[in-house]
Amino acid sequence: MVNPEIRLVRTACPAHCGIDCCGILAHVKDGKVIKLEPAEFPDERDRRICLRGLVSLDITYHPDRIKYPMKRVGERGEGKFERISWDEAYEIIVKKFKEISEKYGWKSIGWALGGPGAGTTKFGAYLRLASLTQSTRVSAWGYGDAGLPCGSRVILGRQFPYGHLHVATFWQRKYPELLMVWATNPAESMPLQNMRRLMDAKESGTQVIVVDPRFTVTASKADEYIGLNPATDSALALGIMNVIFQNDLHDKEFILEYTNGPYLVRIDTGKMIRGKDINANKEDAYVIWHRPSDSHKTLSRSNVKEASLTGSYTIEGIECKPALQLLMDLSSEYTPEKTAEITGVEKELIIKLAKRIANAKKVVFLTHMGFTRTYHGDISLRGVISVAAITGNVNATVSSGYVPGGLNWNPFLKAIPDKPSFHRMGILNLYDAVISGNPYPIKALWFAFINFLNQCANSNKIIEQFYPNLEFIVQTELFMTPSARYADLILPVCSFLEFSDFMNSPYPNIQLQQKVIEPLFESKSDVTIVAELADRLGYGKYFEGGEEGLIDLIMDSGSFKGITRETLKTKAVQLPKLPEGASFPLSFGTPSRKIELYAEQLYEDGEALPVYLPPFEAPVTPGEKKYPLTLINGHSRFRTHSMFANIQALLDLNPEPLVDIHPIDAEKRDIRTGDIVTVYNDRARTTLKARVTEGVKPGVADITEGWWIEQFREGSLNHLTHDTINPVQDKVYEPNMHMNDVAVEITKSEGAKK
Amino acid sequence: MSNGKKFVMVIDQERCFGCEACSIACKIENNTSDYGIKVETQGGAVKDTPRGNFPNLTMDFLPKLCNHCENPPCVDSCPEDALQKRDDGIVVLDRELCTGCQSCLTACPYNIIVFDDSNNLAEKCNFCVHRVDQGLEPFCVICCEGQAIHFGDLNDSDSVVSQLISEKNTFQLKTEEGTNPNVYYSPPRLKRRL
Repeated sequence: MVNPEIRLVRTACPAHCGIDCCGILAHVKDGKVIKLEPAEFPDERDRRICLRGLVSLDITYHPDRIKYPMKRVGERGEGKFERISWDEAYEIIVKKFKEISEKYGWKSIGWALGGPGAGTTKFGAYLRLASLTQSTRVSAWGYGDAGLPCGSRVILGRQFPYGHLHVATFWQRKYPELLMVWATNPAESMPLQNMRRLMDAKESGTQVIVVDPRFTVTASKADEYIGLNPATDSALALGIMNVIFQNDLHDKEFILEYTNGPYLVRIDTGKMIRGKDINANKEDAYVIWHRPSDSHKTLSRSNVKEASLTGSYTIEGIECKPALQLLMDLSSEYTPEKTAEITGVEKELIIKLAKRIANAKKVVFLTHMGFTRTYHGDISLRGVISVAAITGNVNATVSSGYVPGGLNWNPFLKAIPDKPSFHRMGILNLYDAVISGNPYPIKALWFAFINFLNQCANSNKIIEQFYPNLEFIVQTELFMTPSARYADLILPVCSFLEFSDFMNSPYPNIQLQQKVIEPLFESKSDVTIVAELADRLGYGKYFEGGEEGLIDLIMDSGSFKGITRETLKTKAVQLPKLPEGASFPLSFGTPSRKIELYAEQLYEDGEALPVYLPPFEAPVTPGEKKYPLTLINGHSRFRTHSMFANIQALLDLNPEPLVDIHPIDAEKRDIRTGDIVTVYNDRARTTLKARVTEGVKPGVADITEGWWIEQFREGSLNHLTHDTINPVQDKVYEPNMHMNDVAVEITKSEGAKK
Repeated sequence: MSNGKKFVMVIDQERCFGCEACSIACKIENNTSDYGIKVETQGGAVKDTPRGNFPNLTMDFLPKLCNHCENPPCVDSCPEDALQKRDDGIVVLDRELCTGCQSCLTACPYNIIVFDDSNNLAEKCNFCVHRVDQGLEPFCVICCEGQAIHFGDLNDSDSVVSQLISEKNTFQLKTEEGTNPNVYYSPPRLKRRL
């Protein structure tokens, strides 16, 4: 049965931002990969491949692959390049880096690393070199993903508002009675394994609710779909809390034990009262109102359960209220009527939803980055987690049944322990750094596994102001992407079948992305490129052993004891289970070590509570507007961001960009499915085909992200988006791009260029 | 080739999320000109869109492939005996014998047999017989993201397909044609509204 001419190699497809990946069994004949299939797993539910993974040989063997290093000979953006040798490429880089670092310091050289296709050591190698040279690591969180951690850090003190990646939610645990899928579409977008688990849960009796402005495929599987206006999620969360509080359905025991709800807040300063404010011995202690003694007390482990959650008090002349009372006061403004008006969700449905959440035994809130790509998306996340907290469902949402795999990042984050490491800069802050030199000038950028121009906000600004201020641009790439055209030097990289990396997913498994074939053409892996460059910069010894050396380094962690690179060559390994019945104790990295329903540090910003603030641009409130439609960008199953946009097998099923609009909006503009339309605002005009569908809320236009600029008839999705920085996000973590908070108008296009 | 087996497929519409990985898997595995399995949207006028009025909408997916009918009209129609019904129930098109007369395309009430213009031959799903004969499942089954496609022996009462057919309210397509398809569908579950 087994063909002796065929060699089978187990590897892993990393084409999903490094947070999840499928196991792949590659069939190799005469040095060529002829077939890919889903590889076996200890649990067969993890055996999976998607339509993108299935066609990834079309990336490896694509005729358009960049085959050798090239240097720019035309103008930036013109796409004129000339073949050079690797030696020449390294010489140019070393010379340029020397010039620029002497003039502006190493700080002015930045490494912009992306998401899709990111592995672990592939990413780590750049961090290690950045650390050694004390240059700047440009964080890509802000290119859409920073809003979620901004909110999660404030309320939970954790990077993510769920267990060790999403799927952990369902592992080895009883399915919840209710699953609130809020702002995520796992049927078509990451994380990969979630939809199966969601369907398993539903099959076992879990009721599934989906909240989204688009009727997504995930929504089509829901028992109830809540279609709301974009960027109004925090209003919906407050409306839900209003019903819960009004009906006294909140979980007081949980709130007392795990949240800062009982802590007294000064009305005059908005800060928590501390021991020192009332001349108590414990100066920094929080203060509560003690019900049995009807007096205030500094917080202790024993008295917190007897604290009051409501009321208004005066202590030593200071007016104060428990934090929960402030949340109740705020939510009392969000009556079902008012919430319905803002969110566009029926009043009765809001009431039913709130009661269902409060009365269900266990609710898991599955959220992701849909709503956090709006200007105040971080607060929306806090609103949803507040609902989870006041109903005692945080444990269900964040715990998991397997020991999470911790990677040994230290040697990458800090190559030499007693020396300073790299500087960190958010990608949205990078615009200012390059254009105006704030907070310091960036003069050279190295882009790796990122299609910056295509995927980042405000394309015209990047082309007209950003690129011209850079003295040197390097891009490692597989294809001549819209971004690669602007590079001074293009270095050909391998597809995932041509190099090795380590993958700590899909949870709870770990896998080896094993090299299946030698690099094609003159391509090299990112790790090899970094190692060879490092050698020329005098840091060669830090990259000894190349890809495998770095894999051994990142696996050198307590989590992977007894598991070696060798073991992983033939199988995926499951991490150890927690003992029966055990769960992670709830711990939070917030200043109070509790779930912070009230974040005192954001009082001056007006964001101490999960307030509803109107969107930055999205015209969700009715009225005459110059740009009356909200543009959002859904994620498509045919691409992982901008990867796979050039793969014919997928284009056969999904040939070109479309803008989805609702029949009501289409009729007003005399637009029919298939018409060529122009979507525009003050920043740009983008021309493409329209699809008229009930699948988006009236007032919303949706263009799925990831199409390459040249696939539009004019402009592109990100020509329309803006690069505005939310200062609170900048302060809390890193500012995010707000691709789902954009105002546009659409008109039928007359004589648009083909 | 039967060993007393009768192969059937059960597609669970509840678990199908219309990703079309099956279509791509089929085309790659069988190196065909068209998809042997195609996903139809049961929704709006255009693929991947819902029906109804926002937000009261529904959208389901119906993957369609050769039904490997018990009474296959295509087999009777083929003048070259290129189409054969095996004892295990699989209707196989032998492209070596096909002359491209297209009578099977007309005979099939499901319009599921296509014409491969470049080779002037008929083309359809063969239930991946090259895999099944090695004891493997059709490639679309192992590539289904939703784990919605089940394949197995209906003569084995313990098989997943037998159980699904006896327990779920499965249906076949165009039963009025008298073809008695061996592809069964399990419909989506009723919504438990709030």
